Amino acid sequence: MQIESSTNTTAIIMFTAFVVLTLMITYWASNKSKTASGFYTAGGNISGLQNGLAISGDFMSAASFLGISGLVFLTGFDGLIYSIGFLVGWPIILLLIAEPLRNLGKYTFADVASFRLKQKPIRTLAALGSLFTVILYLIAQMVGAGKLIELLFGLSYASAVMIVGSLMILYVTFGGMLATTWVQIIKAILLLSGATVIALLVLAQFDFSFNDFFAKAVDSHPKLDAILAPGGLISDPISAISLGLALMFGTAGLPHILMRFFTVKDAVEARKSVVYATGFIGYFYILTFIIGFGAIVLVLNDPQYLQPDGKTLIGNNNMAAIHLSHAVGGDLLLGFISAVAFATILAVVSGLTLAGASAISHDLYSNALGKSVTEEKEMRISKYATVALGLLAIFLGIIFEKQNVAFMVGLAFAIAASTNFPILLLSIYWKNLTTKGAIIGGTAGLITAIILVVIGPVVWVDILKNSSPLFPYKYPALFSMLITFIGIWVFSITDKSKQAQKEKLLFKNQYFRSQTGVGIEKGSSH
Amino acid sequence: MKNSKDYDLLLSERKKIVLRLLTVIIFSYFSFISVIAFNPNFFGQLIANTFYSIGIVFGFLLILLIFIVTLFYVYLANKTLEPLIKNIHKQFK
Repeated sequence: MQIESSTNTTAIIMFTAFVVLTLMITYWASNKSKTASGFYTAGGNISGLQNGLAISGDFMSAASFLGISGLVFLTGFDGLIYSIGFLVGWPIILLLIAEPLRNLGKYTFADVASFRLKQKPIRTLAALGSLFTVILYLIAQMVGAGKLIELLFGLSYASAVMIVGSLMILYVTFGGMLATTWVQIIKAILLLSGATVIALLVLAQFDFSFNDFFAKAVDSHPKLDAILAPGGLISDPISAISLGLALMFGTAGLPHILMRFFTVKDAVEARKSVVYATGFIGYFYILTFIIGFGAIVLVLNDPQYLQPDGKTLIGNNNMAAIHLSHAVGGDLLLGFISAVAFATILAVVSGLTLAGASAISHDLYSNALGKSVTEEKEMRISKYATVALGLLAIFLGIIFEKQNVAFMVGLAFAIAASTNFPILLLSIYWKNLTTKGAIIGGTAGLITAIILVVIGPVVWVDILKNSSPLFPYKYPALFSMLITFIGIWVFSITDKSKQAQKEKLLFKNQYFRSQTGVGIEKGSSH
Repeated sequence: MKNSKDYDLLLSERKKIVLRLLTVIIFSYFSFISVIAFNPNFFGQLIANTFYSIGIVFGFLLILLIFIVTLFYVYLANKTLEPLIKNIHKQFK
């Protein structure tokens, strides 16, 4: 294939530079990551701007860069529906979650959920919710990574997955949150600049007239001006609302995102980080939209990017942004964007692994098992957990190579919106929440989300090859969130146990702290 | 112990700010989604003599609105909430 041989040199040089730089950062960070607070939260010393960049680095995955620009390339307007959905979760996090989260928690969101509730069961459920979300997300990223690298660098799929897995283990085990944060910051800057360059080069061809640009895109696409209108992505109101809910509230339940709020020194910085992150992510989605349309104009009708059938792109439609970079910037830009895509995957999987490892060591091992664990021991467990998760990710990445994994990110959002988010939200704001209510409602929502996805159109029909789905909708969040909230409400208000009374009494002080930050540990300076 | 005028004021001010901004976000997002679900043709219409569809214009405005809401919240929080929080910190040191 033409694309492999021509990119190899530039892409490999740039990617090697990225790896060398990030490994040096990891070495530098390793001294500061020996304590628990250093490892989990970089000592709470990250600034609002740095954290905002790192959050956007965590959130702008290769799946959203390549996936959304690919979706825009294929459907036009419909790609925008996803972009807006992914963005609209951020004001929710800012208005409801960020400050109380920082004021109540230390390392994981389970700290907040279990602040006044029973440690063992709540932490176990929160850790399970986190691990489900993290592992589903990891599989999707690993499979995407393997395929992308296979195509761009000409490596075999298995070795690509192993390289990604090993590097992420190195970053997280030795560099902890500090190294992970800097990997994400560097990657965010690279990705934003790379995407800006592509978008500017595209628009320059139209003298920066959006009108001429859209006119040419309509002219080039077989669907003509239908690409400027909603298409088939959302066909009925139930799906629309269900997808909307999952995207809007799922973001506020993603453990690797929530964890980032403990890396800043106080609620003021937490607030700032969200504004920066929202700005960067919003800007990025505008770029992906321009890139998708740019690919319609410059890639769609150019045989050098198409498979012999003349219809699909070399690789697949997710390669639209990659091909476009070659169309506007030649081999050099193609090499740069390929290296950025690789770096993007590495940064996202590192953040995920760190969040998963924290759930295992801090929530499950150290607190839920109820052993008295020294900080040193907890740190050792977190490193074992990192290695174990890394190996698991490599293993699952290889197993799922030939599967359609796109639904996994959707399921991760549904679980985050149906289990992690309701428990977190209600533990902060609802006085009458009890352990019993949270456990029953949260578990019911988790199970519902998984079952509805398995018996829905994507898994039951497309993957398991049954003739018709048992559950007609692709997105479960409307139903699973309802079950969670109703379950939590019913089993909390009917809970008359002594434990429940105690938990309600503790609310007043918790609320005071969540609103004011009186009593929190500030970031240590060293 | 938690009876302080500043604290009561903080809670009522924050509630006012958060509820208003939350309503703006949820209302505009679900209106956008509802048009797509119930009346997609409306978003497909082109603004006279251009290739800008109403859907794309609203989509970009919504992205802008989301960012402005976060910015506006931080502005309000710094102006009205932070001074109260600082007072409370002095009181309960």
